[in-house]
Amino acid sequence: MRTWYRNLDAISILAWIGLVLAGLVAIYSATHGPAAEVSAFEPEDNFAKQLLWSGISVFGVLVALTLPVRFFQLAAFPVYVITTILLVVALLIGREVNGAKSWIYFGNTGIQVSELAKVGTVMAVAQLVGIRRPKTMDLKFAFMLVALILLPAALIVMQNDTGTALVFFGLIPVALFWSGIELNLLLIMIAPAFAGYLAVVSEPVAFVFAVLFTAFIWWRTRDKRIAVVSVLLTAGVTAITKFAITKVLSGYQLARVLSFTDPGAEEFRQNVGFHQVNSMAAIGSGGLAGKGFLEGTQTQGGFVMEQSTDFIFSVIGEEFGFIGSLVVLGLFAVLLIRLLTLGSNIKHPFGMMMAGGVTGVYLIHIFINIGMATSLLPVVGIPLPFISYGGSALLANSALFAIVLSLHLRRDDFSIYGY
Amino acid sequence: MDEGRSRVRIFSAIVLIILGTLTLRLGKMQLVDSQSHTGQSENNSMREHRVQAPRGRFFDRNGVLLVENVPAYTLYVTPNYFDDATIPLLAELLSVSDSTVARQIQLARKHSVFKRSIVQSNLTLAELGRVLEQRHVLSGIDYDITQKRTYTTPAHMTHALGYVREITSSRLDARTDDQYRRGDPIGQSGLELEYEPYVRGQIGADYKMVNIRGQVVDDYLRGKMNKAPVNGLDLTLTIDAGLQALAESLFVNKRGGVVAIDPNTGEVLAMHSAPDYDLNLFASRLDPKKWNELLHSPDEPLFNRVTQSVLAPGSTFKPMIALMALSEGTIDENYTYYCNGGHPIGHGDFFKCLAKHGSLTVVEAIKESCNSFFFEMMRLHNVNTLHDFAAPFGFGEAPFLDIARSEIRAGLLPDSAYFNKAYGERKWTQGYIMNLGVGQGALEVSPLQLVRYISAFANDGLMVTPHLVRNMVDLQTGEVTTPEIEPPHRIKLNQTYLDMVKLGMRRVITDESPWLEIPGVTSIGKTGSAQNPRSGTSDALFIMAAPAENPRIAIAVIVENAGFGSGSAGPIGSFMAERYLTGRIDPKRDIYMKSMMSKNSVRITNN
Repeated sequence: MRTWYRNLDAISILAWIGLVLAGLVAIYSATHGPAAEVSAFEPEDNFAKQLLWSGISVFGVLVALTLPVRFFQLAAFPVYVITTILLVVALLIGREVNGAKSWIYFGNTGIQVSELAKVGTVMAVAQLVGIRRPKTMDLKFAFMLVALILLPAALIVMQNDTGTALVFFGLIPVALFWSGIELNLLLIMIAPAFAGYLAVVSEPVAFVFAVLFTAFIWWRTRDKRIAVVSVLLTAGVTAITKFAITKVLSGYQLARVLSFTDPGAEEFRQNVGFHQVNSMAAIGSGGLAGKGFLEGTQTQGGFVMEQSTDFIFSVIGEEFGFIGSLVVLGLFAVLLIRLLTLGSNIKHPFGMMMAGGVTGVYLIHIFINIGMATSLLPVVGIPLPFISYGGSALLANSALFAIVLSLHLRRDDFSIYGY
Repeated sequence: MDEGRSRVRIFSAIVLIILGTLTLRLGKMQLVDSQSHTGQSENNSMREHRVQAPRGRFFDRNGVLLVENVPAYTLYVTPNYFDDATIPLLAELLSVSDSTVARQIQLARKHSVFKRSIVQSNLTLAELGRVLEQRHVLSGIDYDITQKRTYTTPAHMTHALGYVREITSSRLDARTDDQYRRGDPIGQSGLELEYEPYVRGQIGADYKMVNIRGQVVDDYLRGKMNKAPVNGLDLTLTIDAGLQALAESLFVNKRGGVVAIDPNTGEVLAMHSAPDYDLNLFASRLDPKKWNELLHSPDEPLFNRVTQSVLAPGSTFKPMIALMALSEGTIDENYTYYCNGGHPIGHGDFFKCLAKHGSLTVVEAIKESCNSFFFEMMRLHNVNTLHDFAAPFGFGEAPFLDIARSEIRAGLLPDSAYFNKAYGERKWTQGYIMNLGVGQGALEVSPLQLVRYISAFANDGLMVTPHLVRNMVDLQTGEVTTPEIEPPHRIKLNQTYLDMVKLGMRRVITDESPWLEIPGVTSIGKTGSAQNPRSGTSDALFIMAAPAENPRIAIAVIVENAGFGSGSAGPIGSFMAERYLTGRIDPKRDIYMKSMMSKNSVRITNN
């Protein structure tokens, strides 16, 4: 006897609930600790609002589970168009929050449209991949895919929200990966970015990487032209980065780029490095088991700025220690791996791309967010999915999750399209 | 779908690699480098508030509370959170100059930007209240309740107790290892200095959690790290507060000093140096003007005349000369010397006596205080004989007393080596030595040395170690410790000769100055009048012990520029002994005592 919920995935739902709850706990601590009585550093109603948005998200997931797969496929492009238009609207009449003009206000409630655009873009990319014949990978398709992502990305850059735009740029290789691009080519696209990062941290390491990477590509392809391209790209980006940080960038911009390598240095600790110094002090001082709920001295003393939003991980690291950090990372690992498995089980390019795109979006957020909280990366203001305070982000991320969950629930419906 | 499956695997691997990288990073921070990050976080949010331990209290020998502590308020600044624009406001609230506050802030900054330092100690509750009203403007300012000294009896005991003050920068630099910090109180003189390690107690610590604005949020780690202060030891002094108060009132408008000890134990029953000053001056913020006055007053109130004033003993030294001559066998009880009003010293010069005493035995010579007799005694003796005889009685060396060694002087008991050095070999004459016979010349003694000497004479050669502290009591454990004081030792003396000298000293009271006789108590004594380096009348001296047969108190008195010992110094000793031995002053002597109290020896400019 087949039950309707046979394909409802409990594991990913539990992981999602776990993450939302972890976020609520951390936001509560950041806003309702003993210190809040002396002086509040984060708006106290962030917790209540997040609780409300969590409820809305749960409701949204339930609604999504009732929708047929065809709805998502048909809705993909319209959603993309609407959210992209919203980006334009935000640019025109939006409100600036923390320097980014990506908010549209309805009364007192602000919607960060760049978060919604993520949903539209992932859906549109999935739909584009879904309506293509498989294993056909031509240049025109690739350009369409990239253009689909670059359009909202460009609008978000214009909104001055570099962090969110980075997520879109990160989505490009993810989309190409899932649409079947040759791995070597993908590697040649990604490697220069990594080389650029290494060039900031340590120039010799970046050059070593360029050489090793080229050797690796040569070993895989035995194609001189590809090897030449890869060495030019990786070494070139390294050189350009080096040139940029020594000759082009200066003052504040340079400090922003460089400070993460040593935020505690004398020239950074009181300005651009301040966030990371205190975030690291918070997380590091948490030790193995943490200082305890509402007991984090960094958190309660308000030493970490933005601790209910972008730097929420410092709360978890400080109050719940390495164990708490592992629990959160573990939940993410379960959720992400599970989503990939669900996508694979859907056995349809749309579903697979959807799952892959969603996972990619989450992964980029997680890596950049925790990477910046732990000074692996420069400070880039993007939230930690499900955990950071922020209604739009929670809703958007939950929507992405809900779509994959819903597609998997009705994965048998895809068969009528011939797969 | 193989291609699809392998892509899922690859992407899963990427997910795990990235999450793994983050895990490694977190492991490094939270497990490997946790200590240094903890240090950083403590630097941020932990503030150590030192909790001063209550200093030990002082009690007199009868359990009367002399010194205790009352709350005072100390204002602190954490420079990182302090806005220099508020300096004028703070200065106004504290009623000090802007520059004073600015200097404190600057010092605090030098000490540490993130740790708090004292702006001002010893605030009154009213001053603190005024500051706290402006707390919203004055960021980085907070306070602690501390303790300050308060003195509970009419007796000052200024020089014995000593004062407590904020530790000075130079001393702070000198003693970095023993947990003194800027603003800590420290004993600066007297017992407070000598017993500092015992009465100080152990400083406690409250660890407070502060937020990024420097505001105290909570106890750090719920107070788990806090250390309670440990009270300092309470001191039971040997002083009799009533006797001390009497001594102080007898010295009103006089300069000088008195010290009374128990000849059996060396316990100091009273010690007073006049003029003194009010220790309460130091308990609160010391007014620099007042301090300047104390420092530069011609009456030298900071000077402890009992231990630091070394002057000629005058006639009070004569019993020593007499006992020496008897002990050396130079004279005996039948020996007489004829005083015709002086003593020739060669070259036709002449040392004068106070009268033509005629023929005198040694007992009579002591009684009459005949200079000629004692000039003759020293003519008959080598200076080194005197030195060797008097040295065991503590002359020429700093006597022990449990106050700071720097407050005790050794004086001078000369020998031939001294004269050779001072005047050159053979450049000094017999006259120099003969002068010692009447307690003049090179001799320098302090009242503390005199009282040991009269105490030893009265108590058959028992040399005691004067001390001010009987025991120390730990309030927490109830443990009582007794400071290690050198026990008394007996100087071997011929009892017959000693009795002859004491008879002479008894006659001083009964025959020469009957007004010094204590009703119902036999006493011995010797008056003196000594030339001094100051201008004006000579100093009046008096040493005594009573009861003669079983001495319980020995006293040495000096009244500067007061002339004859029997007139000014004698009554002070007599009244003190009476008060100590009988618990009262005989009503018949009451009027006499009142007149003594109002008698001015000098015009005192201070107090």
